[in-house]
Amino acid sequence: MSQAVLALFLSMELGAITVSSQGLMPRHVSGEIRVTAPNLHFLTGASLSRLRDGAAVPFDFQLVVTAGSKGNVVARALERFTISYDVWEEKFSVVRVRDFRRSGMRLSAGSAESWCLDNIFVPAASLPSGQQLWARLEIRSVESKELLAPASGINLATLIEIFSRPSRPQQDHWSLESAPFQLATLKQ
Amino acid sequence: MSKANSSRQLNLELRLPLCPAMKLVLIPALAACTLLGQSLSPGGGSTDETSASDLNVNSRYTVESINFIDQRDYKLSTSALDEIRRLVGAKVDTEALDRLVQRLRGELRAHEVTFKLTRGAAPEAVRVLIHVDRAAGAVDASVPKLIYNSQLGFTGIGQVATTLGSNTLTFQMLRDSDSLIETASGIQAKYDRLSLASGRIRLGFEFDAYENQYDPSTIAALDSTSRPSSQSFNIGAGAYGSRLNYEPRATFVLAAPLTLSVAFSFEELRNLPSAARSESANAMVDTLRYRQRWTGSTGDKQELDAGYSLRAATALLGSNLGYTRHLAHARYSYSRDAQSIEVAIAAGAIYGQAPLFERFALGDSAMLLGWNKYKLDPVGGNRLAYGSVTYGYHIMRVFYDAGSVWEQGKQPEARHSVGIGVSSGLGVLEKGAFLLALAFPLQDSHVIPVLIAGMNF
Repeated sequence: MSQAVLALFLSMELGAITVSSQGLMPRHVSGEIRVTAPNLHFLTGASLSRLRDGAAVPFDFQLVVTAGSKGNVVARALERFTISYDVWEEKFSVVRVRDFRRSGMRLSAGSAESWCLDNIFVPAASLPSGQQLWARLEIRSVESKELLAPASGINLATLIEIFSRPSRPQQDHWSLESAPFQLATLKQ
Repeated sequence: MSKANSSRQLNLELRLPLCPAMKLVLIPALAACTLLGQSLSPGGGSTDETSASDLNVNSRYTVESINFIDQRDYKLSTSALDEIRRLVGAKVDTEALDRLVQRLRGELRAHEVTFKLTRGAAPEAVRVLIHVDRAAGAVDASVPKLIYNSQLGFTGIGQVATTLGSNTLTFQMLRDSDSLIETASGIQAKYDRLSLASGRIRLGFEFDAYENQYDPSTIAALDSTSRPSSQSFNIGAGAYGSRLNYEPRATFVLAAPLTLSVAFSFEELRNLPSAARSESANAMVDTLRYRQRWTGSTGDKQELDAGYSLRAATALLGSNLGYTRHLAHARYSYSRDAQSIEVAIAAGAIYGQAPLFERFALGDSAMLLGWNKYKLDPVGGNRLAYGSVTYGYHIMRVFYDAGSVWEQGKQPEARHSVGIGVSSGLGVLEKGAFLLALAFPLQDSHVIPVLIAGMNF
């Protein structure tokens, strides 16, 4: 099963993923490559409505760094962040599903979005120096129906599977790509 | 296994000859297996262990109430109502709420059912508001009521309903030999406009057309009233053969769950025994109703359903018959674990010349079970008093009923009955309680038990 998932995942890697030309800016912080995206706002539309209605909305994140060409993946990070909106305090909270101890409380919408980006990264050591690199970030909201699936457990394999298939039309999703960069020239 | 053995096994494994090509395949494969097997949940667990509700910041709040946004009285299964009661008073559990709305979506055959949380009246409490989005034009067919009474025969209502936006159209075909002195067969067509003024006002219009039949004892009693020596029942219109009703209605949510319904009922009574072509019983109908459920911290459940209705027919509305009819009723139930107790009371009075369909009857499948309403009073009474106590253990029920219908100025005679039965949801019939009961009238003469079977009372 795992091999099949891996094969599917690798085959999808070769396929082109439509990306927007919005700014995704990589940073080198303490041996980790993180990204910022000042123009990205994913707490909008149907997801924001669900949040304001008191639901907890998970968002799946995938950060990929490619080297040499856009199809050559050299580093990848996958995370699920669950965001909720306190109906009394009117503030957002974010929990990183992989580690509940990592959470952001009483945040504005913008701060909640930034918190998610601050908590997904790839190790700089895994990236080749001297090659041209690209960073790509993909975000998908998780529909409430998916949460009701019998096997609602989430692990890396599930996330890989999720990102290996195209997003559904009714699903909120965002995809951003950085301009080419080199590890040595990244801002620390 | 001893440490020495472990070491030997490890050494053996390390000595396996691996050529560079095999290493190239095996190492990434092992790495991939490790990656794929890694869980995102802390401690290697899945989110099954730590539910989505734990991730919702609102899970620290207590559910104060669960209501439908459109304030409609949806017919839900007993288990769905139990689930709602269980969630009220508990901390917010979004997974459980998601399961509930999915269940309601199925039961109500809705296009979509969603919920939202809003601030409650008390700090740290939230209200759950459920929104039902009916598929436009979808037709819902159902049997809201089906009863067999061994003395009165069958009563059944078949219904089709459709919702177009905030408008609901309902069409019913029915035969009712149970609830009134007359046996009515006919149709009911209703239009309801929902969610005006944020759901606080509902408008509706109802048209009914019935053909009426009467028990021979009713005809005989009415005939006797026409004789000079007979007792006077003060009945308006006598035994009409058909009845039409046009009823515009507005319902106001005064302070949920207290509602006030104001309607004008224009009843036309046709095929009269007299020479008159028809008579009208046009009345203003006011109904005040309070219905509330509570679930205690120990799992005990209470429910109170109380109401008062006034029907006033007056010449101001062009009515040939003038009368006022008052009816008050209350039903309280308490259940804990497998046991339940239910107490119901009703009292009514009619002043003036009310037609047969307005007169009170006991001895049907709802009140004073076991008695025959035609033997108690073949034309009904203009005074009513009734009380009932039911004890339940799991699906078993035992009950005691007492009541009387009588004419103003006469001495009421109390009647009693007892019974035993089962009442429960049954699979697809779960929406309404299924009841099978054997009721015994307590009287000096020969006792003939009455069998009552039905659903959706």
